[in-house]
Amino acid sequence: MTKGLSNVAAVVGVGQTDWRRDYRDQRGGAPGRLDSPGLAALAFTRALADAGISRDEVDGLIVGPTTPYERMGELLGIDARWGGQADAMLAVIQACMAIKSGLAEVVALVYGNNQRSGKTNYGGSNAAGGASFLSYVYHAPWGFTSQGALYALMFRRYMEETGLTEAQLGEVAVAQRLAASLNPDAIMQTPITVEDYLASEYVCEPLHKLDYCLINDGGVALIIMEAERARKTGRNAVQIHGVGRYDLNTGATSMEPRLTDYYLPAQKKVAAQVFDMAGVGPKDIASAQIYDSFSCHIPLALEGYGYCGAGEAGRFMAEGNIKLGGRLPVNTSGGHLSESYMQGWGHQIEAVRQVRGTGGARQVPDCRFVHYSSDVAGKAVSIIYGK
Amino acid sequence: MGKTQPVMALDDRPMWDSIAEGALKLQKCSGCGAFRYPPGPICAECLSMESEWVAVDGGGNVLSWVVFHRKYFDDFPPPYNAVAVRLDEGPIVMTNLIGDPPEGSWIGHRVQLNYVDHDGRRQHAARIVDAG
Repeated sequence: MTKGLSNVAAVVGVGQTDWRRDYRDQRGGAPGRLDSPGLAALAFTRALADAGISRDEVDGLIVGPTTPYERMGELLGIDARWGGQADAMLAVIQACMAIKSGLAEVVALVYGNNQRSGKTNYGGSNAAGGASFLSYVYHAPWGFTSQGALYALMFRRYMEETGLTEAQLGEVAVAQRLAASLNPDAIMQTPITVEDYLASEYVCEPLHKLDYCLINDGGVALIIMEAERARKTGRNAVQIHGVGRYDLNTGATSMEPRLTDYYLPAQKKVAAQVFDMAGVGPKDIASAQIYDSFSCHIPLALEGYGYCGAGEAGRFMAEGNIKLGGRLPVNTSGGHLSESYMQGWGHQIEAVRQVRGTGGARQVPDCRFVHYSSDVAGKAVSIIYGK
Repeated sequence: MGKTQPVMALDDRPMWDSIAEGALKLQKCSGCGAFRYPPGPICAECLSMESEWVAVDGGGNVLSWVVFHRKYFDDFPPPYNAVAVRLDEGPIVMTNLIGDPPEGSWIGHRVQLNYVDHDGRRQHAARIVDAG
């Protein structure tokens, strides 16, 4: 008996581009090797190969926000029964919805972003995303800009309210860099300490540079298949056990939901939905993949989803719980901070790898369920992947 | 890089006109009395599309603050601060703290909006008015 979108669909293939090599080459002055659709296309061919299916089996296509839908389908030669454009987490949910409703059986999700070689600005007078999120541009007359500043402002107040220290926040960057040091594909692999973190420069105080995501080129793709068909034909299928979503829109530009409750009410609603749909709870989760454009997303999610008590995230992290080998290893590929900034797409395929048991040196033992979570601009989303 | 400029949608103009005159006005719903910030065509509380522009007192408290250490705009050389202020009337506005900052945390300090000239544009800024 399935509930909602539980076990409706499974991930049967994942692919990614060579972001470590591309980052190194671009740091050395080389131009971008591929544009955004090109990066998405490369990841797609690898996901297809991983799934062991032919392109002609794909009957649904969802592209990320950084590539045009029609052109992407044209490039890949995919005429779709169902298609669209979405961010990583909503793309996965929409694929499940399309499959559940019979509109598609095999959905390709593709994302490519040449944000480094293409010089995307996430702050300043032409900040990306302003057309979708008014808060990204509305407070510019006072010099207030960048998504990092929005989270710095929010987290300053959370720190004061809960007593979470800068050194405790530094545990996020340290834990994720440790994981990245065991990931041959991660861009940043040199381990760091909390002391290194505290000595690093501020970008928007209280956030240090090591709290910020990388900016790099890359692409990610997933093939999501109807669950029964995946069981028959898919190799290494990873089930989607539950999804949840709650969007805080009211007061978003004046930052009411950021500064009063830190989006925690949205995460609590999503927790109830996703854990109920999946039939599991926080204690069943072996690893969490948490959208980390900034490190402070992690303590907020730990509290919001009940992995620790209210106001206890700082202590929970300082006790080593989010490191590999800890109670809940978080962002085991290195995440946005140390592996690659793929706007949540990389987190989906890391969840798949961990459930498959193909995480190599960073594999979490006995990894039955992985929880993905994001709270970008108060849009809280969760997905639970599992065997 | 470029300079900062206000978002100037259809409903923003009266607010900036009031700032230029040195007395911030915000949009107040004619239906239920709720303030709207940023200004907009409809009340999120009661869905009334009627409103009037009302001067606010300019008093409030600091909700949070940040210090920018990186340059994003030609007219804001770092380091500079930005503060979120909860106005007594309810809305949260972003502004800059001017004058001497308090020792330690800025959160909870009482502020009053002042009006300053910023690179050819008049806008509000907050000054601490409590004893700290």
